[in-house]
Amino acid sequence: MSARSTALMARKSLRARLGRTLVIGLAITAGVSFVVGSFVLADSLRSTFDNLFAEVNEGVDLEVRSVTEFGTTSSRRDPLPDDLVDQIRAVPGVEVAAPFLQRTAQFVTADGDLVTTQGAPTFGVSWSDSAELSGLRLREGRFPVGPDEVGIDKATADRERIRLGDRVEVITDVGRFPFVIAGVVSLGNADGFAGASIAVFDFPTAQVVFAADNFADVISISVTDGFDIEAVQAAIAEILPPRTEVITGEQVVEEAGAGIFTAISAFGTGLLIFAFITSFVSAFIINNVFAITIGQRLRELALMRAVGASARQVSRMIILEAFVMSVIATLLGILGGVGVARLMIVFFNATGFGFPPTGSTLTLRTLLVAAAVGIGVTVISVSVPARRAARIPPVAAMRPELGFAALNTRRLIGGVIITAIGAVIFLMGLFVRPGGTTGLILFAGGGGLSLFLGIASISSTIARPVTAVIGWPVAKLLRTPGVLARQNAGRSPRRTSASASALMIGVALVSAAAVFAASVRDTFVRVLDRSVTADYVITDSTFQGLIPEVAEVLRTLPELSAVSPIRGAPALIDGDRIAIGAADPTALGELLNLDLQRGGYGDLTLNKVLIHEDPATTRGLDMGSMVSLTFQNGAILDLEVVGVYADAAVAGNWLVSLETIESISPLPPRDFFVVAKLADGVEAAFGDLAVRSALEPFPQAQVQTNAEFRQEQEDQINQLLLIITGLLLFSIMIAVLGISITLALAVFERTREIGLLRAVGMTKRQTRRTVRWEAVIVSVFGAVIGVVLGSLIGVALAIAVPTSVIDGISFSPSTTVIILIGAVLAGLFAALYPSYKASRMNVLDAIATE
Amino acid sequence: MSHGYAASVNDAYKIYGEGDSEVRALDGVTVAFESGRFTAIMGPSGSGKSTLLHCQAGLDTLTRGSVHIGEVSLSTLKDRELTELRRTQVGFVFQAYNLIPTLNAYENIVLPLMLGGEHGDQDWIDEVIGAVGLSDRLRHRPSELSGGQQQRVAVARAMATRPQIIFGDEPTGNLDSRTGTEILNFMRSAVDDHGQTIVIVTHDPVAAAYADRIIFLGDGKVVDEMLDPTAEKVLDHMKGFGE
Repeated sequence: MSARSTALMARKSLRARLGRTLVIGLAITAGVSFVVGSFVLADSLRSTFDNLFAEVNEGVDLEVRSVTEFGTTSSRRDPLPDDLVDQIRAVPGVEVAAPFLQRTAQFVTADGDLVTTQGAPTFGVSWSDSAELSGLRLREGRFPVGPDEVGIDKATADRERIRLGDRVEVITDVGRFPFVIAGVVSLGNADGFAGASIAVFDFPTAQVVFAADNFADVISISVTDGFDIEAVQAAIAEILPPRTEVITGEQVVEEAGAGIFTAISAFGTGLLIFAFITSFVSAFIINNVFAITIGQRLRELALMRAVGASARQVSRMIILEAFVMSVIATLLGILGGVGVARLMIVFFNATGFGFPPTGSTLTLRTLLVAAAVGIGVTVISVSVPARRAARIPPVAAMRPELGFAALNTRRLIGGVIITAIGAVIFLMGLFVRPGGTTGLILFAGGGGLSLFLGIASISSTIARPVTAVIGWPVAKLLRTPGVLARQNAGRSPRRTSASASALMIGVALVSAAAVFAASVRDTFVRVLDRSVTADYVITDSTFQGLIPEVAEVLRTLPELSAVSPIRGAPALIDGDRIAIGAADPTALGELLNLDLQRGGYGDLTLNKVLIHEDPATTRGLDMGSMVSLTFQNGAILDLEVVGVYADAAVAGNWLVSLETIESISPLPPRDFFVVAKLADGVEAAFGDLAVRSALEPFPQAQVQTNAEFRQEQEDQINQLLLIITGLLLFSIMIAVLGISITLALAVFERTREIGLLRAVGMTKRQTRRTVRWEAVIVSVFGAVIGVVLGSLIGVALAIAVPTSVIDGISFSPSTTVIILIGAVLAGLFAALYPSYKASRMNVLDAIATE
Repeated sequence: MSHGYAASVNDAYKIYGEGDSEVRALDGVTVAFESGRFTAIMGPSGSGKSTLLHCQAGLDTLTRGSVHIGEVSLSTLKDRELTELRRTQVGFVFQAYNLIPTLNAYENIVLPLMLGGEHGDQDWIDEVIGAVGLSDRLRHRPSELSGGQQQRVAVARAMATRPQIIFGDEPTGNLDSRTGTEILNFMRSAVDDHGQTIVIVTHDPVAAAYADRIIFLGDGKVVDEMLDPTAEKVLDHMKGFGE
C-alpha cells in the first residue's frame, strides 16, 4: 500500500463514518473556539484600550503631576497648586497648559433617580482651555461653561435617556448641585469608559463642586510646533516645586494602559484556564471515541493487514484520518473563537460597557496555540489507539471474536504512579510555591492535570464495582431494564471510565470551588461573629469609598452609641509594602473586637499605632517602640506603638487614628466603610429608620444591618461560585456529549443484542429505559469520583491559603446534592439520542446482522 | 393431537422495491401451522423461507395479506401490543447470538418473564431447565458455555413463557451434528410431551426429518409439502427440485 492508498483509505473512512467524524470534530472545534475566543477577547480589549488611551492623550505632549513614592499605577496623587499653571504657561514653547481635576460625581436624573453604574466608577472631570487635552470629544451640544452647566458621556446619556437641556443634579464629596446638561461627550471615539459615568465641568466649576480651591490634579501641556518637546520638558522641570515631575505624553499613555492591561491579562488568563480545561476534557472524549471506533474496525484493519498493509501503514492511516479531521475542526474552531469573542464584546456592551467598535485581533500566537490545541490534542489522543491497531495480527480478520485485552493491573499501577506524582506536584505548587505565582500556576496546573489523568486511569479498574453499587437501586426499581443498564455500564470498564472521567474533571473543579467557597464563607461568618460587634455596616455602592460626611451625619444620631469610619492607606516600612488601617479610637471598642492584649484604644491619639501581634513578633516591636512609615506622597510618619492586639481579621495588622491618617495628604479622605452601633435600649426598627433617613441624601451609601451585610457577603461568594460553575459548564457539556457519543457507539455495537431483546419481548420503552439508565449510571459514576477528588483538592486549597482567609474547612452538602441531581439529569440528556436510536432499531435488521 | 391452528398467514405478499427491481420474497403464500405439531420450512436460498418465518412471528410486516397468531390478527396490533404478543405468545431460537452476554443462563431463560415483570410458573421453569439439562450451569454467563449449551438455554428461554408457538431460524445451523441432534430431540420431546407448537426454518434434511410436516417454498410460493418425513425422503425430494 503506497502513501496514496493510505490517503485514499483515510479519506474513504472519514466519509463513510461521517456522523462519528462530525462528533469528534465538534469536540475539537468547541475546545479550540474557547481557547481562541479567550485570546481574541483579551487581545481585542487590549488593543481597544491601547487605541483609546492613545486617542485620549493625543494632544498631550507633556504632563505635570506630583510624585509618588511607590505603586504608581493606581495611586492617588497629591494635588498641585493651581498657580503653577500660570508659571508653566510662561515657559517658552508651551502652547497650552490645561489644569485638570478628576474626582467622583454621581448624576441624579430629573426624576430624582440616582444614576448607578453597577460597580463601575462615577467620574467627575474638568476641562479647560483646550478640550482636546482632556481627551474629550464633543458629540452633541457644547462643552459646559459656568456654574450651571455639565456635560455627560454618551454611553450614560443613552442608557439613562438623558438629553441636552435636561435638569439634573450631581452629587460630589461636597454636596448636591443642580445643573443643566449642556453637552454630550465621548472619550476619544468611545461612547463611554467601561461602564463608568462621566460628568464634565469647566475647571472653575470643578474647583467649586470638588472643594478643590487653588488645586489641580495634573496639568496637561501641548508644545508649540517647532519646539523640541524634550527641551520644553527640561525647561518646565526647572521651575517645578519639589515632589513634582513632568513626564511625556507617551509615558502617560503607557502608565494609563499598564493598570488596565494587568486587569485584562488576568481576565484573559482566567478565561484561558477554563478554555484549557475544556480542551483537556475534549481530549478525553476524542481519545475515547477513537479507541472505540478503532475497536469496532479491528476486523477491517486486520483484513488490510492480511492483504498486505504494513503495521506502519495501518497506524499512519489512522493518524492521517485524525490529522485531516483536526485541521478542519481547528480552522472551524478559529472562526468560532472569533465569533465567541465578538459575542462576549456584544454582551459586555449590552450590560453598559462602552467598548469602542474594534476589529477582532487575531495574532499569530493565537493561531499557533489553536493549532497546538486542536491538532496536537487530536493527534496525541489517537496515537495510542493507532499504535494498538497496528499491533493487530492479520489472522485476527479470520477470528470470530475480537477485542483488546484489558491490561488492568498495569493500568492500575500506572494510574497510581501518575496520580501520586500529580498529587505531589500539585501540593508542592500550593504549599512550597517555587517561583511565586507563575510557579503556583504551573505546578498546581501541571500536577492537577497529571492527577486527573491518573485518577481516570485508576477509575477504569474500579468502574465495574462502583457502577454496580450505583446501579443497584436502578436495578431494584426498574427491574429488567435496570438490571441490563447496570450490567451494560460495567461491561466495558475502560470505556465507562473514559466517558465518566471527562465529566469527573468538570465536577471535581466545581466541587473544589464549592469547598473553597464554603470555607471562605464560614470563615467570614466566624470573623463577623467574633470581631464585629457593630449593628450596622454602611458600604459604598460605587467602590470609590464613602465621603466622610456619611460618618459625620451618623455621629449626630442619638439612636447610635458609636460610629466609626474605617479607612486605609498603603505605606512602606523598612521597604516592605503594608496596609495601614484607620478608625475612630473612641468608638472602636464598642464596634470591633480586636482582642487587645496590651494597651488601650484610648491611647490611640495622633502619631500612635496599634499593631497586631504578628508584626510585633516578626519586627521585634512592643509597647513604646517607634516605627517609621513612608506614604505614597512621600510623607513620613514616626509612630509610637501603644497597643498590641490578636485579631487582625477586620482591622489588619496596623491601626492608626483618623487624625493621623488625615495628616498625610490634603486629598479628601475616603471611607472604605462605616460601622455603627445602636445605643442601649433603642429598638432595632427605630434605629433602622433613623439611620436610613439620615443617609437619604447620600444615595451611594448602602445601609446594611449586621445580618444583611453577612448575607450579602455570602451572596457574593455564592455568585462567584456560580460564575466558576458557569465557565465550567462548557466542559461539562462537552463531557455529556462524550457520554452520549460513547453510548451511541455502544448501541450500534449491540445492534444484535438489542434486536434479540426486542424479539423476545422488550418494548421500545424498556429499550429506551435501558440505554437511558446506563447513561445515568455512567454520569453519576463520574460525578461521584469528581465530588470525592474535588473535595480533596478543595481541602488542599483551603489549607494552602492564609488563615485570615480560611481558618477552618467547610463542605457544601447542598452543592454535592445539586451535582448528583445534575449528573442524573446529564445522563438523561446524554441518553436522548442513543436511546431514541436504540428503540428505533429495526428488529429484523438487528438480528440479521452477521 | 391437533386442535386448530397456532398461527397462519393468508395470501401473504412481501414485495421489495418497485418496477424492474421488484423482488417478491413472498408471492401469495397461504399456510397454517397446527397446534401441537412440529413444522419445518425448507427451500433454497432466496425462496422466502426466512421472510415467511419473520412475518409469521411478527418481526416483519407483510406488503399484503394477513397474519394470525392464534386468533389475533397481527396487522391490527400496535408496536407495543405486538411486542407484548411476542413476549407472551411467541418463543424464538435463532441460529446464533441467541443470548444476552451480560446475563447469566438463568436470567436469559427467564428474560421474557422479567421483561413483563412476571415471575412465571416456577415449576414449569424448573421442569424446562431440567429437561435441557442445565441445572448445574445456571449461574454461568454465555461466554462460559459451549455452543450447544447456549442453544439449549435459548430453547429453554423460548419455552419458559409457555408460548403459543416457538419459531426457530436455523436453530442447529451453527452446531455440530451431535449437539444439533440433542437440540432437535429436545424440541421433538417438547412437542410430544408438552404439546408445544414449533416451526423451524432449515435447509438440513436431517433436522427437517424431526418435524411432523415440511413445507417447501420456492420463489416466494409454497411449492410442496410432506407429512411424516424422513431424512431420505427429504433428500430425494430436494434432489428432484434441484433438477
